[in-house]
Amino acid sequence: MPSPAALRAHVESALGERLASTLLLREKAAPLTVSTGVAGLDALTGGLPRGALSEITGPASSGRTGVMLAALAGATHREEACALVDASDNFDPASAAAAGVDLDHLLWIRCGESDRASLRSTQRRTALGRLEQVLKITDLLLQGGGFGMVVLDLGDIPPESVRRVPLTSWFRFRRTVEPTATVLLIVEREPCAKTCASLVVRLQRTAVCARDAASPSEAEFHGWRVLSWTEPAIPPANAVSHAALLHGMQLRAEVVRSWTQRKPVQSVGADFELRAGW
Amino acid sequence: MFACIHIPDFPVAAIVRAESLLREHAVAVLDGKPPQARVFALNDKGRQLGMEIGMTKLQASIFAAAKPERVPATKMVTKKKSAQIEFAARRTKTQPPPANAIFRQRSPAQEDSAHAALLDVAHAFTPRVEDTHPDRLLLDLGGLERLYGSAPAMARQLASRVSSVGLDCNIGMAANPEAAMHAACGFSGITVIPAGEEARRLGILPITVLLDSFDLAHGSEVETTASVRECNKLREQILDTLERWGVRDFRTLALLPEHALAARLGEAGTRLQRLSRGVGMRTLALCEPQMHFEEAMELESAVETLEPLSFLLNRLLEQLCARLEARALAVQTLTLRLQLELRVADEQTTTLEELHESANETTARNLHTRTLHLPVAMRAPKVFLKLLQLDLAAHPPGAPVCKLWLAAEPARPRSAQRGLFLPIAPEAEKLEITLARINGVVGERRAGIAKVLDTYRPDAFHMERFVSRQEDRTPGGDLTLSDTSSAPPVALRIFRPARRIRVQLTEGRPCRLATLDRHADHNELQGKILWSAGPWRSSGDWWAEQSDAESTAEQAQAWGREEWDIVLATDNGNDVALYRIYHDTGTGHWFADASYD
Repeated sequence: MPSPAALRAHVESALGERLASTLLLREKAAPLTVSTGVAGLDALTGGLPRGALSEITGPASSGRTGVMLAALAGATHREEACALVDASDNFDPASAAAAGVDLDHLLWIRCGESDRASLRSTQRRTALGRLEQVLKITDLLLQGGGFGMVVLDLGDIPPESVRRVPLTSWFRFRRTVEPTATVLLIVEREPCAKTCASLVVRLQRTAVCARDAASPSEAEFHGWRVLSWTEPAIPPANAVSHAALLHGMQLRAEVVRSWTQRKPVQSVGADFELRAGW
Repeated sequence: MFACIHIPDFPVAAIVRAESLLREHAVAVLDGKPPQARVFALNDKGRQLGMEIGMTKLQASIFAAAKPERVPATKMVTKKKSAQIEFAARRTKTQPPPANAIFRQRSPAQEDSAHAALLDVAHAFTPRVEDTHPDRLLLDLGGLERLYGSAPAMARQLASRVSSVGLDCNIGMAANPEAAMHAACGFSGITVIPAGEEARRLGILPITVLLDSFDLAHGSEVETTASVRECNKLREQILDTLERWGVRDFRTLALLPEHALAARLGEAGTRLQRLSRGVGMRTLALCEPQMHFEEAMELESAVETLEPLSFLLNRLLEQLCARLEARALAVQTLTLRLQLELRVADEQTTTLEELHESANETTARNLHTRTLHLPVAMRAPKVFLKLLQLDLAAHPPGAPVCKLWLAAEPARPRSAQRGLFLPIAPEAEKLEITLARINGVVGERRAGIAKVLDTYRPDAFHMERFVSRQEDRTPGGDLTLSDTSSAPPVALRIFRPARRIRVQLTEGRPCRLATLDRHADHNELQGKILWSAGPWRSSGDWWAEQSDAESTAEQAQAWGREEWDIVLATDNGNDVALYRIYHDTGTGHWFADASYD
């Protein structure tokens, strides 16, 4: 009876030409991560993993776009080529410039319209038609390769429409992006990629900092904590909005799923702020 | 040392260059309008069939062999029939069927392209090139031995480069240009004549080779049609005289007494004898390299769909890229012109001027031009083909195509020194195809770089082409913690177009709003306004003229608005969101144009 070591050596020598590591346990290396651009989020998540699909979810006015622009600002600051697939044509270049995004490195794709006669006019306006465009374009971008970050902005698409996207699409994106250094980031209202996502972060507002808190009772009723702000509301010339009610938002981020960390996530959270650019 | 590149049967070669499948067939090129069209040029297989230059198409088609009958493999055949088929197959094995003759109309455009390609190859080899004739070039190779090796090695390289642009050539090399030219025109393949052996090696050539090049050597001095006719007449007279004397090759002519020949044929006779002996030196009339790269193809029958057109484009692109590669250049702009089948004019024209104008308009209407501006110079025929396919799919010609031109604006190829630590960037070639495909999905000008305009007008930007800036990049590490921000800015999400709303005011301030858009996605824009701040009044571009409805968003158009920032508690639930709404002072309507996120 040969010893286990001898047996192993025999098997490995027999299969050595065909298989690189026959009986060795292949440890999956920890994925490289890049900064989200927000220190609080980085501390919570460890950053956005490269070669993986990440999701940032939250309701309207929960700071998703601000976090997305911060991540894009970081990627363009590293001179990486980035792509933004804008499902509802909501991207504001002025906000992005104010957030520090180098627009020269950002490919902005505005979905929602098409000159193609094949696309029916009824389908053109609906969220479903836009989602089809998003999926097609994402396929093209990921297969073309070379982008440091690809962002899918589904923030204004109703969650019931996004849920109709088959899981195979998300799985395909994950498999395509896996051997690359691309960060695939989805911004949406509710998580949709399920197990295909390596990182899912949920954002929630906890407070707003408003100039004119006229009726705090109503604010408390809606779960808002109003912080007073009494500075003069004269916006500078580069302000993205003129009226300037909002001074900032306090947010809470919660990691729903993270495959980049060893231990399973148990709803850990962190607080951080978004500040208006005026 | 001089070399001559000669393309035998040049009009045929120019057509075969565009249709490589014709190499296996006998090809006859016709010139003139039917029914007076006559055979202008033939290839070797055509001559073997018995066709001759000057025949009418009807005469030449008699020599064209009929197609052999094909028997379907699945068909059940009787024993007798199968024996017949076997016999026929055996007969065809012993006597291969002659190739069918294919007739093509002469194409000056394709001949020009082939000649330009030949010049490109020659200029890439040496700058000292004489453009002797459309089918032959003379090259001065003096001093190039250290670069290319011995004379046979140079000849082989030259032949290889000429074949790379789709032409089969004969190469002649000798110590003087005339001997090199006679060797190229008289012998097939590569012929290298050492110095001093010209008379012996050229001696076996027929006298017609000498007379052809003799006439052509004086071609530059002949300008008028009458002079050409006179020259041809003189050539025929000399040929008749030499035939009567029994002079049929170079050697016999070289042995004739010099003075007696001069007395009978004059100066021309003396020059002919010197050429037949392979002596004499002349200076080459050098030509400048052209920077115009254009390939053309005329079609026998018009192409209606894009798929067969793609094959033709592929052929043209390969030819174009081979020419550019020979000159170490790349493409910056690619222009495709398609001539569409003539349409019948709607109205009858009466005067000559009207007829001329109508012809010009028809020509312009029947040309479909597409131009591709490439962000970086590249030389990849497959990429160009894909880009042209996508462009033509988006902008179809609209009528059958009967002729196509493809022109390239050359540029220096980009030189990029890649590094291990450079940031990620898409390859320029792949990116162009990806962008073209994306444009096909979302439409023109909806993918690119956003440039914020220097104006107070809200949502003022324009789109520019996205370019991968690989060359400008510098090595940089990942973002460090010091680059992260503890408080990133609040962003706006713009609604395009702005959503029409109905606003209820209390004491001049908005207190409730409802959307007027029945779209299912916009239902959240309805509810009670918890807070509001405003109004912020602004206006602009009132100094510009009132633009019409066709003006684009980038053009100045007077605007005025009173903006409010609001916090809205939606009727759908307990959700609260921040929006920017405005009152358009021009129309008096309310709109919601952005949300804070």
